Amino acid sequence: MSRYTYPVALLLSITCATGALAQAEPLKIGVPTSQTGPYAALGEQVIRAIEFAAAEANAAGGVDGRKVEVKIGNDEGNPEVGRRAAEKLATEGHKILIGSISSAVGLALSTQLNRWDAIYVSVVNKTPKLTGDSCTPRTFRANHSDDMDIAIVAPWLAESETKKWAIIGADYVWGRGSGAAFKAAATKTGKSITTELYAPLGTADFAPYITQLRDSGAEGLWVALAGSEAINFAKQAKQFGLVDKMTVFGHNFVASSIIKAVGTDAVGFWGNVNYSASIKTPNNEKFVAAWRAKFNADPTEYEGEAYSGMQAIFEAAKKAKSAKASDIAKAFSGLTAETVYGPVTMRAADHQLEMPNYLGRVAEKDGKPVIQVVRSFDSKAATPPPSGECKM
Amino acid sequence: MLTNALNGLVYGSLLFVLSSGLVLVYGLRRVVNFSHGALYMLGAYIGYSIALRYGFTAGVLAGGIALGLVGIVLDLLVFRNLSDRNPLVTVIVTFGVFLVLEDIVKSVWGTQNYTLDPPAALAGVVEIGGNPFPAYRLFIIGASFLMAMILVVWLKFGRTGLFVRAASVDPSVAAMCGVRTDLLGPAVVGLGAAFAGFSGIIAAPFLSLHPAMGSEILVLSFVVSVIGGLGSFVGAFVSAMLLGQMQAFGTVYMPELASLLPFLLMSFILIWRPQGLGGRSA
Repeated sequence: MSRYTYPVALLLSITCATGALAQAEPLKIGVPTSQTGPYAALGEQVIRAIEFAAAEANAAGGVDGRKVEVKIGNDEGNPEVGRRAAEKLATEGHKILIGSISSAVGLALSTQLNRWDAIYVSVVNKTPKLTGDSCTPRTFRANHSDDMDIAIVAPWLAESETKKWAIIGADYVWGRGSGAAFKAAATKTGKSITTELYAPLGTADFAPYITQLRDSGAEGLWVALAGSEAINFAKQAKQFGLVDKMTVFGHNFVASSIIKAVGTDAVGFWGNVNYSASIKTPNNEKFVAAWRAKFNADPTEYEGEAYSGMQAIFEAAKKAKSAKASDIAKAFSGLTAETVYGPVTMRAADHQLEMPNYLGRVAEKDGKPVIQVVRSFDSKAATPPPSGECKM
Repeated sequence: MLTNALNGLVYGSLLFVLSSGLVLVYGLRRVVNFSHGALYMLGAYIGYSIALRYGFTAGVLAGGIALGLVGIVLDLLVFRNLSDRNPLVTVIVTFGVFLVLEDIVKSVWGTQNYTLDPPAALAGVVEIGGNPFPAYRLFIIGASFLMAMILVVWLKFGRTGLFVRAASVDPSVAAMCGVRTDLLGPAVVGLGAAFAGFSGIIAAPFLSLHPAMGSEILVLSFVVSVIGGLGSFVGAFVSAMLLGQMQAFGTVYMPELASLLPFLLMSFILIWRPQGLGGRSA
């Protein structure tokens, strides 16, 4: 008998220990994002960062002792498919939803959150509607809205000598919204808009648009295209010689995944930079070091944003002392959390995270394009007040 | 005006080369090949990888030849068994092939975008009517017309071309006359796939490479074949050119309707002439 005593005791102690850990209800995260479709490359980055954040938290003993469980769904970049994917995740208990790429998907999810008893934390959706007329007590945006990007573009635009501008955007809620916001900012600073063009999603050949932009006589160009469309446009515009003489500002264009594909043809393009590995906060330096150790590369913009969204969720769960979506929603509203951006606050009025933002430009270094942050704006300058359209 | 017409011509000729592959396969095998978009994508990716190492010409050849081989394998394994099945079965099976190839591309090359620069000799612009026009786009028009000419000459005047036409009309009578129809199948499907591969790699310097590129273009190439009449080269040519011009002028004069125009035209043709522009009535 005696020779069994020790192993049995060991076994018992192990079961007891794991039993104690399992008592805390796990924090179940659902990620309805684009695994296929035009935004698959962005979805891949978001998934990588979310899984990284979860693994890091679990290695440190979980969030307040709660294990973080992540489950991925596929929204295919389509609101209806996204709604179904999120519903499946929510019914399986993954009620903390995060990570949709398309704004249209984010808006579709936010209408269903009460029914699913879930919350949705945007880390990529930019449409002002999400924190405007379509806001809900269960919807949160932990990334920059279009309005925030425009808020930092306006001072730059006022100083710019380029007078006549043209707009090319993707023909859906985000592209149209971005174009309209730029138009308003441009008119306010005394610039004129000569042409506004919106290309349907899935446009591959931009030649007819490029010809019109060239004929418009504009000196500056606002580009609100995403994913492969942004890349195709930039390459083709360069081949037509369109962008050589123009000031080009790409909304969400100056991002590693796009610049890498476009190559040196993007040199000189201006853009908002929503996250950069070069942000100087202790939190970010720690994150970048851990990321480099694992992936041997700097985190991209989308990876940094998704990671920071997870940091905010973890802080909210700690404050709520609960893994239940409704408790986390209550704790999240008005929460000040330490993230890669430094201390940021989830504004209670419309659930927009007040955070810093950056303006950058593509430069050439050793024959390769690199993103340089030209100006930083603190949370106060970067976050315009609530639009007043949000009634929770 | 002129630049617009040229823009339409570029896209139209690319669509034509792509859909002639569909037409070839349908003509002989009566298989509506839904995997065609994936073949186009695979050609682009293989050509891209080769072009990076051995130059653009090698990439174009590799894209075409590799896809020719893929086509031969596809015919022996899949299409041969599909030729007298229910059309719905062929649609499901070839769509399955499409998904498999798309996943292969994703696991080998990943989901990120790639772009290929045009070869140095074609990288510049040419002045046309006082406006710069990319030389590479003119090359696309030239290359597509060359491929179309070779195909037409071969089918009309070549001995094997005659066999293909004979087997398309009636395989059993052609076989009785001594045509080796069992060899024609792999050859024609291989050629169709090679056309898809060629158009993929030729498109690479102006359309970036990404895993959704196959499904994006598949729809349009089907619209081309349906409007032209499945199995008709002349029809496919006319409808590809028509679609290219519609795209170019539609986005200028009717931007709200531009993306709908191809489908409106298709519906109209299907009502007015269900067999398509160049199709024979059944």
